[in-house]
Amino acid sequence: MAELGERFKEQVALLGKDGSLVSIIARPAALRGDDRPAIVILNTGIIHRVGHHRMYVTLSRELAAAGHTVVRFDFSGIGDSGPVSDRMPPLASCLEQIKSVVDSLAQTYRVTRFVLIGLCSGADHAILYADDDERVVGLVLMDPTLPPTLRYYFHYVLQRLPHARNWLNFVTGRSGLLKMLAGHLTQRLRAPLNSSELAPQNLQFSPHLARCYRVAARRRVNMLAVFTRVSARHTYPQQILDAFPETGGGGRLRLEYFPESDHHFSPPQARARLFRAIADWVESI
Amino acid sequence: MTPFFLGTSQRRLFGIHTAAASCGGKPRAAVLCQPWGDEYIYAHRCMRQLAVRLSLCGFDTLRFDYFGTGDSAGEKGDTDAEGLRADVVTAIETLEDLAATDKVTLIGLRAGANVAADVAMRFATGMAAGFRAAIEALILWDPLRPLDGDALPGRTLTLVTQGMRPHELSILPQGSPAAVEFLPAPCPWIEEASTTGMLPIRVIQRIEEWLS
Repeated sequence: MAELGERFKEQVALLGKDGSLVSIIARPAALRGDDRPAIVILNTGIIHRVGHHRMYVTLSRELAAAGHTVVRFDFSGIGDSGPVSDRMPPLASCLEQIKSVVDSLAQTYRVTRFVLIGLCSGADHAILYADDDERVVGLVLMDPTLPPTLRYYFHYVLQRLPHARNWLNFVTGRSGLLKMLAGHLTQRLRAPLNSSELAPQNLQFSPHLARCYRVAARRRVNMLAVFTRVSARHTYPQQILDAFPETGGGGRLRLEYFPESDHHFSPPQARARLFRAIADWVESI
Repeated sequence: MTPFFLGTSQRRLFGIHTAAASCGGKPRAAVLCQPWGDEYIYAHRCMRQLAVRLSLCGFDTLRFDYFGTGDSAGEKGDTDAEGLRADVVTAIETLEDLAATDKVTLIGLRAGANVAADVAMRFATGMAAGFRAAIEALILWDPLRPLDGDALPGRTLTLVTQGMRPHELSILPQGSPAAVEFLPAPCPWIEEASTTGMLPIRVIQRIEEWLS
């Protein structure tokens, strides 16, 4: 690791319009002349920029050592960043903060292409942001929000069929499947058409989310979609292709599946494989 | 809050200095020693909040990541007990300069409590000779490993929250001058603390009260 340490440099930066977003910028020790995309790593939920198991620190350093400028930062009110007084809805405010970070990197380091990396809510922020910024050429989406498909429900039921308890719950009206279907139906009916009404809890069925994937596919944005083992969000790796068929066209989507890993990439071997997959994919852009 | 790197180029640490909000009185300073591993991640918001609240009480605070953790340089495998103690001493020296004081309070949570206790005992017994600073007070919050109560400095407060299981209580300092207080507050170092956003307000208030 001492060898890796000699191949990158890190500095603290206060980014954002009012300099309130605490950020760490990792850069290669020896700058190359090529136009490698800069990489922006987004918060996972309210976990600060270090990430679970310090995964974003390690990932930043490996990508910086490979020649990229990488920034990890905290959204306002998360981690060490202070609150902002933009009076915007939280989601819109997050997207505005990503823009300010991207603008700052573009201006400071003369970078023209960007890759956004996010897990869970970070993945959702990444795809929503890419809708509005043509400088984004790549997205790493780890366990993003996906709408359920027919095959999703089929897998869901199939996984639960062997367990007698699920049958009992179904007969007694306490079935998780029935509750989920009712919840999905309600969410689908209430899904906001307007992007300004978007919130993490109503994103799954929003036509705006589908539109963002469509736009990204049309703009030929490269996507690395990473899925950990089955969760409430997805039951099979190809669900993203069934939910958003446009993403499959043109060979711009790479799928990676980590059945051995939980949502936070707790097993060290899974993290190591994830970092290799991301580094290989970024190199191919 | 001012984020910066401290320490040497060989052992660079990430830290956040929160300056005292009120001026005029005698400068006071506190180094916050973070927990370890997942507990560090989940307790991050609580430690930040503690720093902010102490700054309002007139304390300059420094919270930092040990070498090989958080945003500091190094890898997980680079960390050992001696290194952790050295990092706390680096933080104390840095805060001495920032706050212009030679007395520092140490506050440690979980593994951080044990590291803070180790360092305080070394200062008290002269093992850390050559330093300007003196440890003014020590607060140990839900410590992780057994503590030798007799070796702790006189002005020590041990706080125990709901997160400590009954079998863990035997690690607390017994028969020592160090006060042990049980508070019915949620513990900030479990995953629920980050998913629900709960903060142990009573503990933070008790720390403020005890230090004032």
